[in-house]
Amino acid sequence: MLFSYNWLKEYVKLPKPENLAEVLTMHSFEVEQVKKVGRDHTLDIDVLSNRGHDCLSHWGVAREISAILDKDLEPLKRKRLKKEKGEIGLINLKIKCRKLVPRYSAIVVEGVKVGSSPKWLKEKIKSVGLRSINNIVDLTNYVMLEIGQPLHAFDYDKIQGHQMNLRESKKGERIVTLDDSSHTLDRGMLVIEDKNRLIDLVGIMGGKLTEIDSKTKNIVLQAGNFDRQTIYKAVKKLNHRTEASNVYSQGIDPNLTISTLERTYFLLTKLGGGKIVQIIDLYPKKVQPKKIKLDLSYVEKLLGIKISTKEIKNIFERLEFKYKGNIVEVPTFRLDVSSQEDLIEEIGRIYGYEKIPSTFPVVSLIPPKRNLEIFWENCVKDILKEAGFTEVYNYSFIGEKEVETFKEAIEMENPMSSEQKYLRPSLIPNMLKNLKDNFRYFDEIKIFETGKTFIKKQAGEAEEKKMLTGLIAQKKGKDEFYRLKGIVDLLMNKLGISNVWYDEHKPTPEQSKISIWQKGKSAEIKVDSQEVGFLGEISSKVLKEINVVVFDIDFEKLTKICSEEHEYQPISQYPAAVRDLAILVPLNIKVVDVLNEINTAGGVLVRDVDLFDIYEGEGIPQGKKNLAFHIVYQAEDKTLKSEEIDKIQNKIIKTLERSPDWEVRR
Amino acid sequence: MLKPLKIETKKDTFDVTVPGEKHEIGHLHPLTLVKREVEEIFQAMGFSVIDGPEIENEWYNFDALNIPKDHPARDMWDTFWLKNNQKFQITNNKLQTNSKFKSNPPGSPLRVQQNSKLLLRTHTSPVQIRYMEKHQPPFRIIVPGRIFRHEATDASHEINFYQVEGLMVGKDISAANFKAIIEEFLSRFFGKKVKARLRPSFFPFTEPSFEVDMTCLVCNEKGCSVCSKRCWVEIIGAGMVHPNVLKAGGINPKNWQGFAFGVGLDRLAMMKYKVDDIRLFYSGDSRFLKQF
Repeated sequence: MLFSYNWLKEYVKLPKPENLAEVLTMHSFEVEQVKKVGRDHTLDIDVLSNRGHDCLSHWGVAREISAILDKDLEPLKRKRLKKEKGEIGLINLKIKCRKLVPRYSAIVVEGVKVGSSPKWLKEKIKSVGLRSINNIVDLTNYVMLEIGQPLHAFDYDKIQGHQMNLRESKKGERIVTLDDSSHTLDRGMLVIEDKNRLIDLVGIMGGKLTEIDSKTKNIVLQAGNFDRQTIYKAVKKLNHRTEASNVYSQGIDPNLTISTLERTYFLLTKLGGGKIVQIIDLYPKKVQPKKIKLDLSYVEKLLGIKISTKEIKNIFERLEFKYKGNIVEVPTFRLDVSSQEDLIEEIGRIYGYEKIPSTFPVVSLIPPKRNLEIFWENCVKDILKEAGFTEVYNYSFIGEKEVETFKEAIEMENPMSSEQKYLRPSLIPNMLKNLKDNFRYFDEIKIFETGKTFIKKQAGEAEEKKMLTGLIAQKKGKDEFYRLKGIVDLLMNKLGISNVWYDEHKPTPEQSKISIWQKGKSAEIKVDSQEVGFLGEISSKVLKEINVVVFDIDFEKLTKICSEEHEYQPISQYPAAVRDLAILVPLNIKVVDVLNEINTAGGVLVRDVDLFDIYEGEGIPQGKKNLAFHIVYQAEDKTLKSEEIDKIQNKIIKTLERSPDWEVRR
Repeated sequence: MLKPLKIETKKDTFDVTVPGEKHEIGHLHPLTLVKREVEEIFQAMGFSVIDGPEIENEWYNFDALNIPKDHPARDMWDTFWLKNNQKFQITNNKLQTNSKFKSNPPGSPLRVQQNSKLLLRTHTSPVQIRYMEKHQPPFRIIVPGRIFRHEATDASHEINFYQVEGLMVGKDISAANFKAIIEEFLSRFFGKKVKARLRPSFFPFTEPSFEVDMTCLVCNEKGCSVCSKRCWVEIIGAGMVHPNVLKAGGINPKNWQGFAFGVGLDRLAMMKYKVDDIRLFYSGDSRFLKQF
């Protein structure tokens, strides 16, 4: 809220504007800006949301300043409300929902003179950014800005039948407010109705029908106190916030209404006056100051600094809190203070948080728990980084277009845009976007991401799943499947996971219609019998122009099978021998089939088998491909003789050639 | 991408001024680097690192943290809600069961939760409650994680970003203890004594509440878009854990007290690396990411 420096100065002696801003920031509220305006300064004070009830007003902030600086506060001049005999008839006020109206106060003033405001009032109103309308409206605004109690003035003569019924609205009722906007109400909002029509949207804004105009002669000045929640809910429903509704939504001290009317009446007499012909004050349950027990040792224990009793007493005095024995009586204008901790906050901030020393806690030496998930996440990221991948972070949302491939995506009730309408069911869509963006600057992209994905399960559950996804793509459509598979192998190996194998991904026809994977070009990554993720090319239905291969791994499954155990393998003292073997096999034969045969036939002395070439095309019979392997022979306990190796190699060849279409090339 | 430099010389000496061959390795995201550093500093001070779910219910995100329904205090957090007609439970979070609440009378946390709407957590603070439900003090934890705010984006606002929550509870853990811990953290993190100040603030889940400001490192006190030209940057919201929050976590506030705080990881990264637009972190732009 904007505050006028000169206005504040009327109630309390102030330091220079910049110093005042500093003092307020360090003890009460942050001052966002100090601006020189003519001979005045405006301060944009960010009143904390639990202090709206007493500090969204100049006098309230002046009271706050007087407490911080220990300076006297100028009392407000008021005029006692005194009923006089008048010409006009009495207002018949009925409140149908007593529970929602802790207090209702109003005065009926006869013979006001509506005109333009005097200079001082105009200036005040202008200094905080409001527009001057006429003396009566300006006065209600002024008093609200001064004291914080919202006021509303009705044109008495426009109220039909002298009736005011304060009640809850019915669904579908309509009212046009002072700002000319029309509202259709729900059930349970507070309204005032005259004999025939709604004339006030209570706590939010007055109705157009009873607006003050230049011909107004008699007014009803209302200072009400209404149920906080009811007003707040109505504001939310109608999406119509006003200064008054902001105050009411936070709640306000019911003891303010009459003193505010007294102040208003004092000022009204200065503006040409009128006489009070009716005073209404319905206040069935008077709110009393709260009494809170304060344990002085707790003050020190919570703040970590010893503040003398004398000092504490002084702080309470400055805040207008009464302190006797160990009981603190909190004035009703401080709705926010209701517990011992609240009192300690008051002591601390007025005393000055800057005086609190830095003291390390004295605690038992309990070492932090190791978080394995984070440990493995760090490992994974380091491995991929070392393998040349760049880590990306993407939004947790995807749009309507991307969601087509995912049936189980969770929809947002209030998305920011149609591009961010769903929670990401997979990390892939946003990473494909990264790809397109980055191809403008790079020919090859290698990126990965870890993050939560969100899926709606059939049983109606929201599942949150952490995924690890990586991709490689070249601008010039090279196939990178085997390269990425090597990366996955490396990753698994470094995480201590053995028994990794790749199973052809065979989606059901239903799945493949919407699958993100290219048919025939994707694999399930398996560890023992468990599927932990997928590896493959992205379907050309999803991404036309670019060949991109992706691994998509369930991170939680992965961390469960990671192992830090690592044992050294004795290095054989005896030399290894390498023999090459080339074989022609039909195109549909998988490398793993050939490898299995070699390993089975070779037995323990075959240390390793390395595929070093796959070739099909020129020089190779139609329908065949050539596979070439290095076979490494080694024994633990002796140097293998050439004949021994030949024997095994021959056994392997024989075994391989048992398959009819397989031909070992010699 | 640059082609490798081809060097073919026949001389028997090296031209030592020829640039070395380029070797490219990958890059970790700046937020990962910052998160690791934060975790390391706090772990060194005995804090355990804890996770929690990103989809939360209203109870953990608001009610349990003393942020009442139909109160303007809730407006402090602009919230993403999951579409209403999708009635589901949160699964897959390890901290789900409330071991301390054996019976479920009406009004008990479990009961309230069942009718609680789902949302994307607006802070990592719900993990405070989830952790307290399963652990007895004394303890000290930090909770790094992604959080969400339904608000317009600009150079210093994003719809998803990262926060580290801290919570320390003991017999006599005080505001002075918080000040020492947080100063140690900031100084270690930025590698020098950083100016910081505590001032009053309001959070429903702490009482008293503090705002911790530190000098802006991006502009050297000259004013920039990160600090809105004021040179002090709000970096940590903190306070002494509100008794109602301890109660919601099943801890007796008569016996225990402590502090809690929340730091924006993105903010820390922006200050550390002098990044002046938060949106770069989520852009996936390799020209940016390859600098880390």
